[in-house]
Amino acid sequence: MIKGLYAAASSMLSNTTRQKILAHNISNLDTPGFKQILASVGDWEKTSVTLPMGREPNMTNMAYVGVLGLGVDAVTETDDYTDGAVKATGNELDLAISGQGWFGVNTPKGLRYTRDGRFVRDAVGNLVTIDGNAVLNQNGQPIKLPDGKIVIHSDGVIKVNDQEAGRIGLFGFTEPRKELVRAEGNLFAAAAAPTVTPSGSIQQGFLEMANADAAAIATQMAVVARTYEMAQKMVQNQDDLLAKTINTLGRI
Amino acid sequence: MTSLNHVLDISRQDLQSRMLDLSVVSNNLSNFNTIGYKSIRTNFQEFLDSQLENGVQIASTQTLVKQGAIKASDEPLDMAIEGEGYFAVRLPDGKTGYTRDGQFSLDANRTVVNANGYPLIWNGTIPENFEEVRVRSTGVIEYRVGDDWTQAGSLQLYRFPNAGGLLFLGKNIWLESQASGAVQAGTPESTNFGRLQPKNLEMANMELSEELTHMMTIQRIFTMSLRSFQQTDQMISQAINMRR
Repeated sequence: MIKGLYAAASSMLSNTTRQKILAHNISNLDTPGFKQILASVGDWEKTSVTLPMGREPNMTNMAYVGVLGLGVDAVTETDDYTDGAVKATGNELDLAISGQGWFGVNTPKGLRYTRDGRFVRDAVGNLVTIDGNAVLNQNGQPIKLPDGKIVIHSDGVIKVNDQEAGRIGLFGFTEPRKELVRAEGNLFAAAAAPTVTPSGSIQQGFLEMANADAAAIATQMAVVARTYEMAQKMVQNQDDLLAKTINTLGRI
Repeated sequence: MTSLNHVLDISRQDLQSRMLDLSVVSNNLSNFNTIGYKSIRTNFQEFLDSQLENGVQIASTQTLVKQGAIKASDEPLDMAIEGEGYFAVRLPDGKTGYTRDGQFSLDANRTVVNANGYPLIWNGTIPENFEEVRVRSTGVIEYRVGDDWTQAGSLQLYRFPNAGGLLFLGKNIWLESQASGAVQAGTPESTNFGRLQPKNLEMANMELSEELTHMMTIQRIFTMSLRSFQQTDQMISQAINMRR
């Protein structure tokens, strides 16, 4: 009886987490370079159910009945690294990566990677992100841009007034899901150095938008609402049963 | 552990961010016919607090300095900048303001002023007996007496390492800021400076379709976040009413 109560409660908890992830994905539907979070739930521990001895006549041993699930496990969050749609903006320093690869960014907290290509030339000519963190070239060094008209080629080569002024670095990870960890501000941290030479190319005047899918989120939200409601009803049912057991069983 | 109140907070934060973005887009749209207007973009970022999902935050609003379309006009002192650079005007408080709005004209004292009456910063004067004025693409202002054109002086353009970082004052005027970097003066058509297009004006630099689709996006996300907010609220109420 109590086992069932906890199983129902565990479902309420896991759906709270799922709702949080959905709200987070919705909030970032219009965030360039955002990679949505996927939530998966699975069975939690199982326990074996046995009948005590003496339950039936001549029953001298405990009888094994089967296994009982104890509810759902905590939600596992995985990052979805598929590419988002690319949007034309026409701004000189809006860059999108088509295909594999990440921009390298030097932040006060260390080296980070991002697919968010909203860059600016700062007051002293450095190529920086909208937070002012330096964007790195292929050797992991900051990029200094002279004054003038900027043209960025698909291989990352920057030309200012037709003079080569550096090259935007692209860094590749064979399995970003295992190698990268989500950090704040559309950035990702890596435990180790990039593992592969990326095959992607850079598009100037474009931005990669979020890869979250509004329709999928809406349906998942409906599922969460109903599952939570059902789990709540189950808690109440178990409670009713418990009440009946306590109040009526002992009565003659 | 996640609490439903925290989830409410994510949605609330997002609703507020969309409202702000909507006012930025409305401002862009209402300046659709403003000469030399530069559109503004709200820069959203994923918000995490020590790995905990917190929705979205606004990192900055950014002035997009791309070139606007150039349209012909009839006024002799109307000018458009094709390429980089700003006109400099003297503000009433003595500061220098920068603008891409090239609607200049002569006032009663023959001072070259912009649409707000702020004098253009240049190195010449127009004499009393002039009959006509004109601007050349290099910034030289000339006046005519009889059949003779005489050079009155010339204007310079001003550029910044990060023009998007200029501080917006209003009335189409920007101010130099720490983010923009130090101002550099130069003759129109010289390296890194745009050329002047006399008797032309630069229109606002945004696409109507782009701003309108953005507005629709904002509306959809707002609706979704609102739904999420209501649903979370309902979940809280179910949790409260679990014990009958």
